[in-house]
Amino acid sequence: MSMPKMNRRDFLKIAAVSVTALTGVQVIRRVEASEPTPSGGRQWAMVIDQSLCNGCGYCVMACRAHNDVSPEIAWNPVLEAGQVGDKEIYLPRPCMQCSEAPCVDVCPVKASYYRPDGIVMIDYDRCIGCRYCEVACPYGARSFNWRAFTGPNPAVPEWGQPEVSRRPRGVVEKCAFCYQRIDRGLALGMIPGVDPDATPACVVVCPVGARFFGDLSDLQSNVSKLLKARPSYRLRADLGTGPRVYYLPATEERA
Amino acid sequence: MKLHLKLSPWLSWLIGLGAVVATGVGAGMLVFWKGLSVTHLTDLVPWGLWITIDLSSIAVSAGAFSLCAAVYLLGLKCFQPVARTATFIGLIGYTMALLTLLMDIGRPDRFWHAVVYWNKHSLLWEVTMCVTLYLAVLVLESMPIFAQFEWLKVRWPKLAGRMSRVHHYAPYLAVVGLGLSMLHQSSLGAVYGVLKARPFWYRPDVSVLFIISAVAGGMSLTVFASMLAARLTRRASVDDSLLERVAYFIGWTLVLYLYFRFWDALSMTYTYQPGRTEGLHLLTEGPLSFNFWVGEMLLGIIVPMVLLLYRPTRTSQLWRMIALILVVGGVVAYRWDTNISGLMIVLSYLPGEPIVEYTHYFPSLIEILSGAGVVAYGLLAFSLGVRYLKVVDHSLTVKEHEERKVEAKKPAPA
Repeated sequence: MSMPKMNRRDFLKIAAVSVTALTGVQVIRRVEASEPTPSGGRQWAMVIDQSLCNGCGYCVMACRAHNDVSPEIAWNPVLEAGQVGDKEIYLPRPCMQCSEAPCVDVCPVKASYYRPDGIVMIDYDRCIGCRYCEVACPYGARSFNWRAFTGPNPAVPEWGQPEVSRRPRGVVEKCAFCYQRIDRGLALGMIPGVDPDATPACVVVCPVGARFFGDLSDLQSNVSKLLKARPSYRLRADLGTGPRVYYLPATEERA
Repeated sequence: MKLHLKLSPWLSWLIGLGAVVATGVGAGMLVFWKGLSVTHLTDLVPWGLWITIDLSSIAVSAGAFSLCAAVYLLGLKCFQPVARTATFIGLIGYTMALLTLLMDIGRPDRFWHAVVYWNKHSLLWEVTMCVTLYLAVLVLESMPIFAQFEWLKVRWPKLAGRMSRVHHYAPYLAVVGLGLSMLHQSSLGAVYGVLKARPFWYRPDVSVLFIISAVAGGMSLTVFASMLAARLTRRASVDDSLLERVAYFIGWTLVLYLYFRFWDALSMTYTYQPGRTEGLHLLTEGPLSFNFWVGEMLLGIIVPMVLLLYRPTRTSQLWRMIALILVVGGVVAYRWDTNISGLMIVLSYLPGEPIVEYTHYFPSLIEILSGAGVVAYGLLAFSLGVRYLKVVDHSLTVKEHEERKVEAKKPAPA
């Protein structure tokens, strides 16, 4: 028996159908992939109370020391955000650890990726320094190492000791919720957000206790309770990035 | 006869270009040594002059895929000699882009990462893969061109014969080239078009504009370079009626380009949208307005469109050449404006009324010198191609091309 000879038209038809089918499968996979984050695991989140923050900038310094960040870069700047009544309002801005992070989508080499607990990481050994993530991030959370950071870190030892290695020249870097403190703390049986040694350095150092850290999937965690008790907002929530940093706004009564 | 070397125009052209290339190599070395701190790029404007050279050289290389598709897929065989020139220009253009990219990334030692670590969600990954693969296609497509090198034919006739035979696969290469080019030429626009963070970029139709303008610019550069070469040297010969037909097609492509650009930019929004409206104002009345109205619109599209569609000016070689170089300039202006307009506006993420901040960028001397070096390399490569590889030679018809291949198979006389 011989195969019926395929003419050009049939070939094109089959090709078109196959391509359409394959695309369909890809679309379905994509939809599945964008379901909410895996259940069961911890989901770290940060809550920042703007009614308490006084703009002292201790968090910026502690961050620089613990993560060995160059004085030219701030992973976690404190911005002025207008006034409520006659009180100055501030907005500390760590990385939002988005659940739908544009930076992860655009990275051509998968150097930016999600940890199962929601932290957005950068593999500094893989980053090629194309800076596409910098233009994709709506929060300006990413900084490029335009020059090498050499010499002593002026924030050390006053504000803490470095816990991670310094990033080389030519890669992008950002806040990662002090994942090194979380991981080491968990290994020692501590609870991040409760035990200072397992909690991000900026949260620990805050002299007015304006920052809170914890597990959103645990309804009894301090962050879950706070978000239930008080109105909160997230930055540019309209973009659909799903930030994991929540702000408790300063109000007339609470300022 | 005098003994001193006479400086012919050809030799001074080569020396001039060589000097710019040498300066560019020096500047490039400085970039690799000192890092990107020698540029004027910042975290808010991380892409600048180099990315524009990158986008432009890829855009004006689009003649290769479009003319190869015309010859081998649409069967317009008569354009084969034009496609040959376009392929060579494409090869140069893509190597220019890769050279610039290598300087632009922070870790040039990791340039291969995109090929190994795939992120299929990333348009930049897709572009990198397509450009890499398409460069391979261009190298294969250029094999028969390099096989014309006299020295090679004499020294290694067998190799020259083999390289020449790659021409048999031209139709298949044209299919692959068309697919890859359609993908990455438009994706280069989508690289910008998918970003919500910079509201002025967030327009999916940037991808459509990128490919249409690339086809117009790529064909224009091919025809312009052919005509210029034919005027300057006897080593290049053109069939003017052939080039005129391509020019006519470019004219209609410009109509399409203008149409889409009109709906893209000029009727973009009637209501205020933070970031987006400011972006449009940058182009229509701000610091980029001369670039936009004169560079992109008037001289880049409208004037050449009229010159190329109006028969008397199209058939005049001078007017046609002016029109073609204007198209190329317009495409480069469009690439520059697209990149910088989105970067110049930063939308604040603070709660409440969105605040728009303006940034500033002007390339540093090192960026300019290294960029000029890359462009000079392109001109040098094309000039050498015209002289030694006869890349502009319309006297070589398809039939003769076949015969030459047979010739190349014969062993060279000792």
